Amino acid sequence: MSRPAANPPKLFLRFFRSYCDPKMQGYIEGDLMEAYHRRLEKYGKRKANMQFIIDVLLLFRPGIVKSKTSYHTLNSPDMFKNYFTTGWRNLWRSKLHSTLNIVGLTFGIVCFLLISLYVFDELTFDRHHVNAERIYRVVEHKNVRGEASIIAAAGYKLGEESKHSIPEVENITRITRPGRANLVDPENPVPFQETITVGDEQFLEIFDFPLIEGDRHTALKEPASIIIDEDLAMRIFSSTDVMGKNLQFSHLDFPLKITGILKKHPRNSSFTFNSVMSMSSFYNTDYFKQNMISDWTSGNFSVYALLRQDANADSVSRKMTRLVLSNFKPDEGTKLSYSLQPLKDLHLKSADIVDGARNSNVDSIAQGNPLYITIFSFTAVFVLLIAAINYTNLTTARASGRIKEIGVRKAIGALRSNLIGQFLFESWLTTGIAFVLAIGVVSLVLPPFNQFAGKELSLFAVDYHFWLYALAAIVIIGFLSGSYSALLLSRLKPVSLLKGLKIQSIGDLSVRTGLVIFQFTISIVMIIGTIVLLLQVNYLNNSDLGFNKDLMVVIDVNTGAARSNFEVIKDQMTKVPSVKNVSVTSRVPGEWKSIRTVKLRAEGGTDEDLISYLIGADKDFMKTFEVTLLQGRNFREAYDSSSIIVNETAAKMLNITEASEQTVEIADVSRGGAYSPLDALFKPRVIGIVKDFHFQSLRDKIQPLILAYNNNPIHVIDYYSVRIEPTDIPATLEKLKAIMVKQDVDEPFEYHFLDEQLALFYVEDGRRQTLLGWAAMSTIFIACLGLFGLATYSTEQRIKEIGVRKVLGATAVGLVSLLSRDFLKLVLIANAIAFPISWWATNRWLQEYAYHIDVEWWMFVLAGVLALAIALLTVGYQAIKAAVANPVNSLRSE
Amino acid sequence: MKKYQLGEFEEIVILTIGILNNRAYSVSIKDEIESRLKRTVSFGALHTALKRLEEKGYLKAFVGESTEERAGRPRQYFEITAMGKKAMQYAKETRDELWKAIPKTVLQVNLLPQYL
Repeated sequence: MSRPAANPPKLFLRFFRSYCDPKMQGYIEGDLMEAYHRRLEKYGKRKANMQFIIDVLLLFRPGIVKSKTSYHTLNSPDMFKNYFTTGWRNLWRSKLHSTLNIVGLTFGIVCFLLISLYVFDELTFDRHHVNAERIYRVVEHKNVRGEASIIAAAGYKLGEESKHSIPEVENITRITRPGRANLVDPENPVPFQETITVGDEQFLEIFDFPLIEGDRHTALKEPASIIIDEDLAMRIFSSTDVMGKNLQFSHLDFPLKITGILKKHPRNSSFTFNSVMSMSSFYNTDYFKQNMISDWTSGNFSVYALLRQDANADSVSRKMTRLVLSNFKPDEGTKLSYSLQPLKDLHLKSADIVDGARNSNVDSIAQGNPLYITIFSFTAVFVLLIAAINYTNLTTARASGRIKEIGVRKAIGALRSNLIGQFLFESWLTTGIAFVLAIGVVSLVLPPFNQFAGKELSLFAVDYHFWLYALAAIVIIGFLSGSYSALLLSRLKPVSLLKGLKIQSIGDLSVRTGLVIFQFTISIVMIIGTIVLLLQVNYLNNSDLGFNKDLMVVIDVNTGAARSNFEVIKDQMTKVPSVKNVSVTSRVPGEWKSIRTVKLRAEGGTDEDLISYLIGADKDFMKTFEVTLLQGRNFREAYDSSSIIVNETAAKMLNITEASEQTVEIADVSRGGAYSPLDALFKPRVIGIVKDFHFQSLRDKIQPLILAYNNNPIHVIDYYSVRIEPTDIPATLEKLKAIMVKQDVDEPFEYHFLDEQLALFYVEDGRRQTLLGWAAMSTIFIACLGLFGLATYSTEQRIKEIGVRKVLGATAVGLVSLLSRDFLKLVLIANAIAFPISWWATNRWLQEYAYHIDVEWWMFVLAGVLALAIALLTVGYQAIKAAVANPVNSLRSE
Repeated sequence: MKKYQLGEFEEIVILTIGILNNRAYSVSIKDEIESRLKRTVSFGALHTALKRLEEKGYLKAFVGESTEERAGRPRQYFEITAMGKKAMQYAKETRDELWKAIPKTVLQVNLLPQYL
């Protein structure tokens, strides 16, 4: 009988073999073959193949698929106990490697936990409100003839009417922050300059700002009520037991009764108000009655809506837009719409949204930077990965020590899955130990970490979700670090294991080298990142700003008297011996509040409107700030109210090369947001040009700037800037304070040092740089631990070879280079991979800054050499030890 | 509890093995059932039934010759054990008893179409 050449489909045959119970496999496979060949002769190949496949699929049923039940008993508690014992013994047997593993993992987990706490905190801003998922902020999108603005604000009526006419809106609240004023206890009048926050009675119903005392449903209901937080209570009254006491804002003519004490805000709250007064205080005022009845679009209120469970935010915001547009007709060419921003996006996704309180003198809501959240998250994961790689590398490298054990286990009947389980169990054991240690370390380093990061992180007060994620990450890391060695070692054949054959392919060298390269690539990228960050922050803090920021005291003008009497005050300040110069301005260079912008054009010009920043300044501005006048003249007393000085950029924009009293027209002003026309057209003359100076953060390019005289119609003075002598600064400050207070007893004397204020622009960068620097150091440290372990192992393996070489006359230097060459090659390859990655990444990051350092080749070389040197030190120690050892010791035993 | 458990398909299989007498192995059993009963039998169903019958102690398997046609795999022949024979007997008896217990009229009426 001739045997047909065709064979059944291999794939399905293999599938059948993989599932079939081994006891039946031979017979059934025979049946399948017999049937196949008969069909082949009868019907041809196609049909036979088809039928074969159907047979195989139909055979896949409980009685025939191999059962696991007979082996399951092996995973009994006794077996786990055995795993634990062997794992534990194994840890103790090679103390050096266990230490390297555990230290590396502990380090990795510490970094991971710290960074995760930080990131988790940033990501969970404003989540402490029970209904946080359903709270939205109303955001206004306005487009006036192509000029778009996005402002987190709306009008009074929007909040009023939405609740009645949009069924999805369960509740809605308005708050407004009109400015700052002195808050005083009438019985003990010491002024405290505080931000005013006004909220309606729903405010505390939608948000769960906890009250220590008072009823949240009624606290903001009555007119002339105020709630204050415990801090403010302590400052004003030195006690928090102040319910029912009175407080008064200096701009109001009635006292406010304290109806609630707020708990301090947690650090991860976007809201920072320390008092809220009831909006109902104003309901009966004429101003309110006249204006609010028709206020649909003023943008004076921050509006937060609580939507019903199943509401769709998009459709609600469309309804809001329709509601406003049916009551208010925007000007020709103006487009107006509203959107709803989830409360949880307030912190990280508000980059393009102007704060609702843009018009007043209050700080806008602090923002997080999503870019850094991404960078940090990646860093955390990478540090952990690098630690896991150490474990993998060291375990596989040392696997030969356990070959007999694996062989015996297999011979007794351990399945591959049992062995995999055992190795994973061991890696979990190690990660578990490291995790416990790491928690100890983290709780030790958290206080200083918090201080530096400006957070209040805690391992134990954190939301339980954090622990779920962290534990999941640890389990995964234990799995990843153990899985490669588990798969590799469990694959070996028991016979060859027990015969004591040297298994060449153990711990696949290529995988191990790949992992080492990966570790060092990441380390080098992080070193370069840190170098660039360090230099950039340094550059930002030290670059020439075009003006002198040192020894400059900037004093806020908070009261009317301090503003109107400025000439007297200035005169008195100048007379203080330790004061060099004094200037009054509307904003100062390096301003942290919004600087007004104006639309201007050359007189009679019909061109497009040009946009420029505007700062009001007196004639001493240039002298005080040491700004260079390039062209024309400075302001002179009295009759210069219609003169302006422009910076180079503005001059270029206006096409002015020489200041010769050219007249420009300024018609509109913006306080950050939409432009509104001035009462009367302002037509100043250009009398001078100053050298460009950085009046904003170095993140921004220098913009056109107009310096108008201090009594200009656009922005009145708001600051005194005083250049002082470096001697006895506290005494100088005392004298300045005395002058201010003499003019107005209510003046709270708020001052900053300009250089410190400017440094605040970059304080976050400084923090990030430090954080990233530490992370970089940790990665390289962990990577070196791993390298050290590998080097130890490989020199141990080659100890006989080295002995023979030495006997034959190799020099110590030659041997050291022989032993370290392999490892250094890996670091060099890592360099080659890391350079382009970090070049790309750092360049992208630097784009954030209009003024930045260039990424230069020496930074890469420095990082590369650093990594190489550290690796050389790590490997070299082992290599030298082996090279100088007496060959007799290593060779005598054979 | 029943004395002997024998499912419908199991009964067919064990009867067929009896018919084949000493030549009973999976392929021949399959062919025999398919030709006599005009129903297709999958290897999956057949082997499951054979395995169950063997586990119940009604069948005894022994290894037979291997052929080239089977790619060198041996045949597994089956013979009925004493207990298997008792089980077959028991199954037949119970059926017969049940048949006898059915009143004749029931069968007659039921065999006639309803509308007549």
